Amino acid sequence: MAEQSIARGASRVMAADGDRSNRARFVILLLCLALALSVFLSLTAGASDASAVRVIRNWFTGTVPADAALAARDQLIVYDIRMPRVLLGVLIGVALAVCGAVMQGLFRNPLADPGLIGVSAGSSLGAVAIIVLGTTWLAPVTLAFGVLALPLAAFFGGLAVTLLLYAIATRQGRTSVATMLLAGIAISALAMALTGILIFMADDRQLRDLTFWQLGSLAGATWQKVGTVGPVIVLALTAMPFLSRGLNALALGEATAGHLGIPVQRLKYTAIVGVSAAVGASVAVSGGIGFIGIVVPHVLRLAIGPDNRYLLPASALLGASLLLIADSVARTIVAPAELPIGIVTAVAGAPFFLWILLRKRGIVDL
Amino acid sequence: MIEARDISVAVGGKRIVSHVDFAARPGEVSAIVGPNGSGKTTLLKALTGELAYTGTVRLNGRDLVSMKPVEVATLRAVLPQSTALSFPFTVREIVRLGLIGGRSGVLPGEDARLPERALARVDLDGFAGRFYQELSGGEQQRVQLARVLCQVWAPVLEGRPRYLFLDEPVSSLDVKHQLIIMNIARDFARRGGGVVAILHDLNLTAMYADRIFVLHRGELAAAGAPMDVLKDELIERVFDCRLKVGALPEGSVPFVLPQSAA
Repeated sequence: MAEQSIARGASRVMAADGDRSNRARFVILLLCLALALSVFLSLTAGASDASAVRVIRNWFTGTVPADAALAARDQLIVYDIRMPRVLLGVLIGVALAVCGAVMQGLFRNPLADPGLIGVSAGSSLGAVAIIVLGTTWLAPVTLAFGVLALPLAAFFGGLAVTLLLYAIATRQGRTSVATMLLAGIAISALAMALTGILIFMADDRQLRDLTFWQLGSLAGATWQKVGTVGPVIVLALTAMPFLSRGLNALALGEATAGHLGIPVQRLKYTAIVGVSAAVGASVAVSGGIGFIGIVVPHVLRLAIGPDNRYLLPASALLGASLLLIADSVARTIVAPAELPIGIVTAVAGAPFFLWILLRKRGIVDL
Repeated sequence: MIEARDISVAVGGKRIVSHVDFAARPGEVSAIVGPNGSGKTTLLKALTGELAYTGTVRLNGRDLVSMKPVEVATLRAVLPQSTALSFPFTVREIVRLGLIGGRSGVLPGEDARLPERALARVDLDGFAGRFYQELSGGEQQRVQLARVLCQVWAPVLEGRPRYLFLDEPVSSLDVKHQLIIMNIARDFARRGGGVVAILHDLNLTAMYADRIFVLHRGELAAAGAPMDVLKDELIERVFDCRLKVGALPEGSVPFVLPQSAA
């Protein structure tokens, strides 16, 4: 992967004055190129031989192609199947990676991810409830919202769990991050148990739907889905750049961040609500895609350091690129069938993560 | 001026600090001393607004409760006893964090070079590119002091004095660096700022403090100039240890006092 060699090259040149901001800018520039390449690759690669280049060239030059039927098919595949899928991939990759970085900063732990605060478990519960009970108890919901019932249920499931946790962990206006972490484990277990009951009730067809949803996939991306989750993710993430200075200060501890003039409680609230909205929306349309939220910020911290002013934008770019590459692999490796993307990210991400840890043993202080 | 009236702090239902009056004037080094568990750090945390307290704390005449975090951060900086980091920051990146919320008070263009200057002051020239986690405890403490100095680099800003709160700033330092750090504190006060420091070494305290506050079981046992406070009777009562102020050791036992520094 190109990103690997970026990480390795950058960590070798440790600036003698300890200022890594120039290197960070350089890496961000490279990641912009990487994302552009990944977008191009995703638009081009696929089970069909539809050529994105041809479609775009025709569109720009206004050429009327000789084989009109073929051109129409290409256009359909590129515009209505691949483009929404690429956009959705970018949105979700950005959301997962940035939210991972923000959670790690907030919990002051490089292993934290949005799953820890129960978002994923709550979203799963919502989604599974719709899959299993959608034709019986929850029929009014599916009738009212149609295809959007599942993403909406997942989104509100995640948000509900997060707000419940936040209420539990907040006493006298101060949120205890440690309490939130521990309560998150308990509530996640409870949500998973409820999900288990639903799975127990499910029939064979529902079980298959469920399993596929949990493995994660960008299949079935439509402009409608992009239009539904896009605004939520974009809105939630626009708050994040304003948190970067505060998150940097938080690395010194909550008390010290407060002494440095950071409104710590507001920072925590904004981060938690933003993360649960963005991750809830992502999980809602794509299911469980693991490892992006942990691996991406971690690799980037080794390359450019933990300064969130650079880490957050770099995570956004690398997260989007990696998810697009993983999705391209998922779409093509067993074509015309498709692997769930969660399998690809886990198979590629887990060994890579272990390798990074072994190489950098000693510097990573867990 | 920092003025605290009738400060009481309870942690987990247990009262740690009871009815303490405290005042730190600009231009002076005020030391808080007392045995372990006497409430020194708890009092400091109340004065900095980190712990909830009853009573009032005024910072340059304004009630601390009514001030925003960023306003407080421009008036005072706080050095905690120790700071553990969760991510691999370089020394320079840590010191730069001091510039986040406060206002250093130097000319706008000079902020960028301030971390190097602050590191030089704490005798860590050339350490900017090292990883914080790879430093020794004493070096880490000095890096944190450099960060704190960046936050309130100018002791007086727009005519208003600013303050340094130091919780055991020299506890893990060798004697040379103890003197360097205490000289920084005294210099900050001489130039119009105020310093509040928790200290354990009574000799250093006598040498550098203009005013001493002695805590004993959460209450103020004595307050005043070192000459008036450091008496045999008080030391025996507070520290539960029979010591004689100013007594030289018998015979040829060597002793080294910071006061002898050239």
